[in-house]
Amino acid sequence: MAKRLQASERRASILAVAKVLFADKGYHGVSVDEIAVRLAVSPAVLYRHFSSKQDLYEAVLSEIACTRENYVDVVVRGPDDFGGMLARMTLMYVESVARDPDYLRMELHAALEGSQAARQFFENRWRPFADYIEFGLGELRKEGVATGIDARIAALMFQGMVREALYAKLVYQADRFRDHSLVDLVKHLIAMFLRAVKLG
Amino acid sequence: MANFDQELDARGLNCPLPILRAKKSIATLGGGQVLRILATDPGSVKDFEAFCKQTGNTLMSSGQNDGAFEFLIRKAG
Repeated sequence: MAKRLQASERRASILAVAKVLFADKGYHGVSVDEIAVRLAVSPAVLYRHFSSKQDLYEAVLSEIACTRENYVDVVVRGPDDFGGMLARMTLMYVESVARDPDYLRMELHAALEGSQAARQFFENRWRPFADYIEFGLGELRKEGVATGIDARIAALMFQGMVREALYAKLVYQADRFRDHSLVDLVKHLIAMFLRAVKLG
Repeated sequence: MANFDQELDARGLNCPLPILRAKKSIATLGGGQVLRILATDPGSVKDFEAFCKQTGNTLMSSGQNDGAFEFLIRKAG
């Protein structure tokens, strides 16, 4: 007989299974019945913990939000120069995503599925980089450094670069980059970015 | 309102910018002086608690004022 789980254990197991399925098939590709079958419980058990599929999906996103990167540590420990800070933030983010690649698959599905809330959620995860680059390059421009650079477009370039590296290593597992670890790849890209904005 | 020696307006900025700017502002203060920070990022409440814990500065108060979060931090030393 299957072991009867405590409510908190049951909730955690539902979230874990739902995350894998949402990551594989997207929000619209998964039904509550399918999640229940995977868990070997009836749909009624799921509805005791979550009022709807949307509620469950949002709870999965909240789980990711709870593991939000702690950039305070990045700021406190280490020099404040633009490139050093950006590198520390990026490596912290990349390592966090690498620990849970389902996040990336959910992000890809969310981009196509049109859920404004999910898209906003994932956009917010990238927001610290966009804001940091725009603000940081703006400050440097006032000091006569990195002049002639459109900070907003530079932020887009950076995000595209790092996101693509994450896809190459964690989603496609591209053979082309098998000789580079994810961290090495990202370090190379950060160095190229800093040269492109005249800081390297 | 409590007295402060310097003010930092970090409204509209998101993590980690309020923390980074606070770190730079505090570096210009003398020991015992107070920095007042205004921020709108909801994550800033937790962030400034962690910041003070890690830096040894004192978070004298943390609250909301006119739709913004307000923090008073006394520099250690």
